[in-house]
Amino acid sequence: MKELNRYHPLTIVFDMWKTAKNSFFAIFYLYILNFSSDSTFIYYARIVFWIFIGITFITIFIKWYTNKYTVNETSFNLFHGIFKKTKQTIPFSKIQNVNRHTSLFHRLFNVTSIHFETGTAEDSSVKFSVIKRTAADQLEEYIAEKGEGTGSTISFEELDSNGRSDLDSRKTVHFQPVRKDIVKASFTSLSFLVLIPILGSIYSKINQVLDLEKRAEGYLSYLLDAWWMIVVLVLVFGCLSLLIGMAWTFLKYGKYEISSDGERIYIKKGVMETTEFSILKSRVQAVEVTQSFMKRLLGLAEVKLTSSGSFSGGEELEVNTLYPFLPLNRAYDLITELLPTYEVASHLYSLPKKSLGIRLLKPSWFWVMATGALFYFHPVFFQMEMTWLILSILLLTLIVFGRILDYYHTGYLVKGRFIQFRKGGFTTTTFLSRRDKIIEVGVSSNLIQQFLGLATVTTVNRAKPVYHNTLTDVPVNFSTLFYSWYMEREKEVEHE
Amino acid sequence: MNTETKGPPLPTRKLENSIVKVWRMSAAIEEGIGLLLLAVLLYLDYYFAWPAWIGWILIVFLLLTFVYSVWSVIIRPYYLHKNWRYDLNEAFLQLKSGAILEQHQLIPMAKIQAVSTKQGPLLRKYGLFSIEIMTMGTSHTIPGIPEKTAIEVRNQIAIFAKVKEAEE
Repeated sequence: MKELNRYHPLTIVFDMWKTAKNSFFAIFYLYILNFSSDSTFIYYARIVFWIFIGITFITIFIKWYTNKYTVNETSFNLFHGIFKKTKQTIPFSKIQNVNRHTSLFHRLFNVTSIHFETGTAEDSSVKFSVIKRTAADQLEEYIAEKGEGTGSTISFEELDSNGRSDLDSRKTVHFQPVRKDIVKASFTSLSFLVLIPILGSIYSKINQVLDLEKRAEGYLSYLLDAWWMIVVLVLVFGCLSLLIGMAWTFLKYGKYEISSDGERIYIKKGVMETTEFSILKSRVQAVEVTQSFMKRLLGLAEVKLTSSGSFSGGEELEVNTLYPFLPLNRAYDLITELLPTYEVASHLYSLPKKSLGIRLLKPSWFWVMATGALFYFHPVFFQMEMTWLILSILLLTLIVFGRILDYYHTGYLVKGRFIQFRKGGFTTTTFLSRRDKIIEVGVSSNLIQQFLGLATVTTVNRAKPVYHNTLTDVPVNFSTLFYSWYMEREKEVEHE
Repeated sequence: MNTETKGPPLPTRKLENSIVKVWRMSAAIEEGIGLLLLAVLLYLDYYFAWPAWIGWILIVFLLLTFVYSVWSVIIRPYYLHKNWRYDLNEAFLQLKSGAILEQHQLIPMAKIQAVSTKQGPLLRKYGLFSIEIMTMGTSHTIPGIPEKTAIEVRNQIAIFAKVKEAEE
C-alpha cells in the first residue's frame, strides 16, 4: 500500500482530447475561416497556436508522470506539482458524495471517471478523470466501507485486479422509468416546443447568408395559397416536434436508475453519457416533493433531497433531484424505501378559515405596481381603450385564485420526530424533515396575526446556503406545540 | 393581546434598563442628522428659489421625520426593552423580541459556531455590551447587557456550544 500509483495512462489521451476540443474554435478560425490567408498575423498566430498546443501536451504528460496517489486504510494521499510539490491527505470519513461521469470518450475505451467530493472547497476533492470501471467500483466500495469505520479486508492489490465487485448486487433498484413515464415527462416539460426556437435560429442564420426570404417568396406565397397545404405543413411540423421532443426527453431522462444500499442512495442517469451520483443517507437533511401545475394535472412529482454536502458546479447541481417526473404515489413510497427512518403522512392538518381571510386581505404589492405601470403606459390591444383595466383585473383574479389554492394546499403536521409542511398555490411543495436535522426554529406573529390568534413558524436546515422554510398563518396553538416539539430534540440527539 | 399565554413560552431574562437610554440617544442622533439635512435643503430651497413643489415635498418630509422621531426616540425604545427577553440553558438559547411583530427564536447550543461581545461608544458610556451569536447561517444579537453578565453569558454559551452532536 505504501507504493505510489500513477493515474490511468488514458488520462493523457483524455486530457489531450479535452485540449483539442477546447481549441476547436482556434483551429476553426486559423485554418478554415482564414484558409487561404497570407497575412502575417495569421502566420504567426498559427505558430503561437502550435507552440501552445505543444506546451500543453508536454505538461499533460509530465503531470501524468508526476501526479501520484496512494490509498491506505483511512485516507487518500495525493501527490502533485511539477516544480512545487504538494502532498494532500483526504480522509475517507470526510467524503460526502461520490459522482461518476461516463462520457462518450470513456465509453469508447470502456473506462469511467469518478469524483469523491468532500463538501468543502473544490480543491480538496479526489478526482480520477480516467479509471477502469472495475477499479472505480472497488474503490467506491472500499471507501464506503472504510469511511463508515467498519473493518474490511480488501487489499489494494485487489483493486487493480479484474475481480468483479459485489457493489451492484448489494444495491436495490427502486425506480427505472418506463415508456409511459417518458411520454408524460415530455408533455410536462413542454419539450415538444423545443423545435420552434431551433428552427427559428437556423432560419435566421441561413437567411443572413443566402437571403432566403426573397428567393422563397414565390414558393411560399404559392404554398400558402392552398389551405390544405397549410394544414399538412402544420401537421407535419407538429408530429415532427412531438417526436423530437420525446427523443430529447428520452436522451435526458430515459435511462434513470435510483437505487440504494444500507448507507447510500445512488442515482444513475443519461443515455449517451452516463453520470452517477451517490449521497450518504445520514447526510440528508430534508426531503421536498414539488408539483408544478402541469405535473399535478398528470399526477407527477419531483423529489428533492437537501444534503449538507455541497454540489459543485454546473450540471451536478441537479444531484439532489431524484427524478423530476415521478408518479406521485411512487414518489411517497420511494422516500420511505430510500430513507427507512422517514415517515410520510398523507393526511395533514389544514389551516383555519381565518387564515384564508388574512391571505386574501394581504395587499399584493406586485399587483399594485403592475396596475400602476399598466395605467401609466396605457397599452392598447385590439383597439380597446380599457386594455389596462382588463389586464389588471385578470392579474388580480389570478393572484386571488393562487391565494385560495394556497390556502387549500397548505397543511402541517408534527408527528413523532418528523415535521411536514405543504404549501403553494400553482406549484405545491411538501417539506419533510426530522427534528435532529433542524438546526434552528423561529415563531413570529404580527399585529393582525396576534389579533386572530395566528402565527408564522420557520425552520432552518443545514444546506448550502442554509435552507429556511416558512409556514404562515398557522394557529398559535400549533406554534406552541411546535416550540415544545423542537425542545424535545435534546433527548434524542446523540452527543459525541 | 392575551395571546402571550398561548404562544411559545417566554424566556425570563430581561435587558438592562439603561439600554433604553442608549437606544433613545442613538435614535436622537440619527433623527437629528435627518432633520439637519432637511433644514439645510429647506434653506437652499429658500435661497435659490427652487420650484414650489420641492418646497412642499421638503415640508412633508420634515413633518414625517418629526412624527417618526417622536416614535423612535420616545415610544419605541421603551416598548422594545419591555418586550425583549432571552434565556439560555445547556441545551438551547431562547430569544424573544418585539410586540407589533413578535419574534421567538430557539437555537440549539450545539449549533452555535461563534459568540462575541461588542461595545460601541454609546454602550460604553453605560457600561453595556451586546452579544453576537453566529450559527451556521444566521446571526443573532442580544443588545444591552451589563459587562459582568455579558462576559458570563458569553462564556456560558461558549462552554455549552462545545458539545458536538454525533453525525456532524
